Amino acid sequence: MTSRELVRRTLSFDAPPRVPRQLWLLPWACDRYPEELRAIQARFPDDIVSAPAFHEALLPVHGDPYRPGTFVDEWGCTFLNVQAGVIGEVKTPLLKSWDAHEMVRFPEERLSVQVDEVNQFCRRTDRFVLAGACPRPFERLQFLRGTENLLMDLIDQPAGLHAFLARLHEFYMRELELWARTDVDALSFMDDWGGQQAMLISPQLWRTFFKPLYRDYVAIAHQSGKAAFMHSDGYILNILPDLVEIGLDALNCQVFCMDVALLGDRFGGKLTFWGELDRQQILPGGSRAAVIAAAQRLRSAFWRPGGFIAQCEFGPGARPENVHAFFEAWETLV
Amino acid sequence: MDAYDALRAAVIEGDDLTARAATEELLSAGHDAQALIRGALTPAMDEVGRRFEAGEFFLPEVLVAARAMKAAQELIQPLLARSKTPPRGRVVLGTVAGDLHDIGKNLVAAMLCSAGFAITDLGVDVSPDRFVAAVGAARPQIVGLSALLTTTMPAMQQTIEALEEQNLRADVKVMVGGAPLTGVFAARIGADGYAPTAAAAVNLARELTP
Repeated sequence: MTSRELVRRTLSFDAPPRVPRQLWLLPWACDRYPEELRAIQARFPDDIVSAPAFHEALLPVHGDPYRPGTFVDEWGCTFLNVQAGVIGEVKTPLLKSWDAHEMVRFPEERLSVQVDEVNQFCRRTDRFVLAGACPRPFERLQFLRGTENLLMDLIDQPAGLHAFLARLHEFYMRELELWARTDVDALSFMDDWGGQQAMLISPQLWRTFFKPLYRDYVAIAHQSGKAAFMHSDGYILNILPDLVEIGLDALNCQVFCMDVALLGDRFGGKLTFWGELDRQQILPGGSRAAVIAAAQRLRSAFWRPGGFIAQCEFGPGARPENVHAFFEAWETLV
Repeated sequence: MDAYDALRAAVIEGDDLTARAATEELLSAGHDAQALIRGALTPAMDEVGRRFEAGEFFLPEVLVAARAMKAAQELIQPLLARSKTPPRGRVVLGTVAGDLHDIGKNLVAAMLCSAGFAITDLGVDVSPDRFVAAVGAARPQIVGLSALLTTTMPAMQQTIEALEEQNLRADVKVMVGGAPLTGVFAARIGADGYAPTAAAAVNLARELTP
C-alpha cells in the first residue's frame, strides 16, 4: 500500500495496516543532530510531504528566517531572531493603525505557482502531498500589526481591521483556489490559537472573526476532492466542535496541553489527529518509557482504526532518541 | 454608581477613556492617589485576573483592561512620585537570554503594577549580567524571569546562579513563568516560586513580599 493510500484510509477511518508517519523538522535539529536525523528519516520515512510551490516569480524576501539577525518576509514583515534554528519574532510591526492598511503590499508572487511542475511532483511521489501554501490569517494580522495591538484591536474593532481582513481573506482564497486546481492531496492552513491553558481569544470572538474564514478554506478543499489539514498550537478545546462542524479532516495540535483521553472520547472518529507528541516536556526531557507511554495514550485515545497520524516536531530541545522511540513505539502499537 | 465604582468598571471593561475621565474626576475632587489605587485600580485588576483564571476573560480583555489601568495610572503616578509614597514592592522583570517572547511578561508587569509594585522591565533577551546589574541598581525584593522556549529555560538557572555568584541571591525572591515551565522545574533550578498565569504571578508576588 502506498503512503498516499495509507493516509487516505487513515483520514476515512478505513483500517489502514499501519499508522502514517510524519516528522516535522526545524533547522535547529538539522544543525545539531544531522547524523541522528538521517538515521531517523531512513528508518521511518514520512508518508506526508509538502509540494514545493514552484513559484515563477521570486518572492521578495530578505535574509534567513532561521538565523540570528533580521529576516523580511514577502509581506514586508521584519522578524528579529537571536537563536539559530528557530524563527524570530516581529518586534516592529508595519502598521501603526489599521487606517494605513492600504499600504500593505500583498505578495502576488505567491500566486505564480507553476501548476504543471506541482503536478509532476505529485505524479513522481507515492506519498500524500500537502499544498505548498498555508494561509494563517490570525498570525498574518499579528505580524503586520503586532500581537498585543492586534489582540486589543479585536476588542476595539476599528473599521480598517475589518477592511483589511476581507482583503486578506480574498487573497488567501485565491491562493487556495489555485492550489485546489493542482494534483495535491490536501490543502492546509494554520494559526496558533491556544496558550498553555486557554485560548488566546474568546471562542465567541474566534467564531465571529475567524471561523467563517476557515469554513471557506475547508469548502475549497472539499469542492476539489481534497482533504483539509490545519495546525494550531496551544489549548484549543473550545473550538474543536467548530472545526469538526466545518468539516476539517486533520488537525495538528498540542493534544498534551489538553486532556488526551477527553479529546479522544469527544472528537476521536470525527476528525484525524495529526499528532503530536508533547514537545514541551516529553520530547526534550522524557525517558524512553515516557515516550512509549505517551504513544500508547495517543493510540488508545484516537486510533479507531485510522484517525491518527504519528507526527512529532524535532525542534528546539527535543532529544533525537525520543523522536526515534516515538516512531518505533508505533510499529508495535498498530 | 459612585466614582470609584465607575473607575473600577471602566478598567474591567477596558474603557480607557472613561478610566482616565473617572480618575481626573476623583483627583479633582481631592481624593488621594493611593486611595484610588487601593480602592479602584487594584481591585479592578484583581477582578480581571479572577475572570481570566475562570475562563471568562481572554488575553484581549486583559490587555484592554491593562490599557485602561495605565490610562488612569498616568495621572496618578506623578502624584505618587511627588508624595514619595513607597511602592508595595519592587520587581525586576525580564525575558531571559535567547528569548524574544514578551506578551506574558508584559501582562505580568501590568498586573503587578496595578497591584502597587514598582516594576523595572528589562525587556527581552536579557543576559544574566543585565539581571545582576539591575538587581544591584534597583534593589528589588523580587526578580521575575520569563521564558517561552524549552531551549531558553536553562538561562533561568544561569541567571539565578549569576545572582548567587554576586551574592545577591539572598536579597531577592526569584519567580519564574512561561509556557513550558512547571513547578517542578522552578524548584529544580532554585526559584522561589512559579506562576502559570499573570494573575497567579500577582498572588505569588504578594506571598513573596508579606
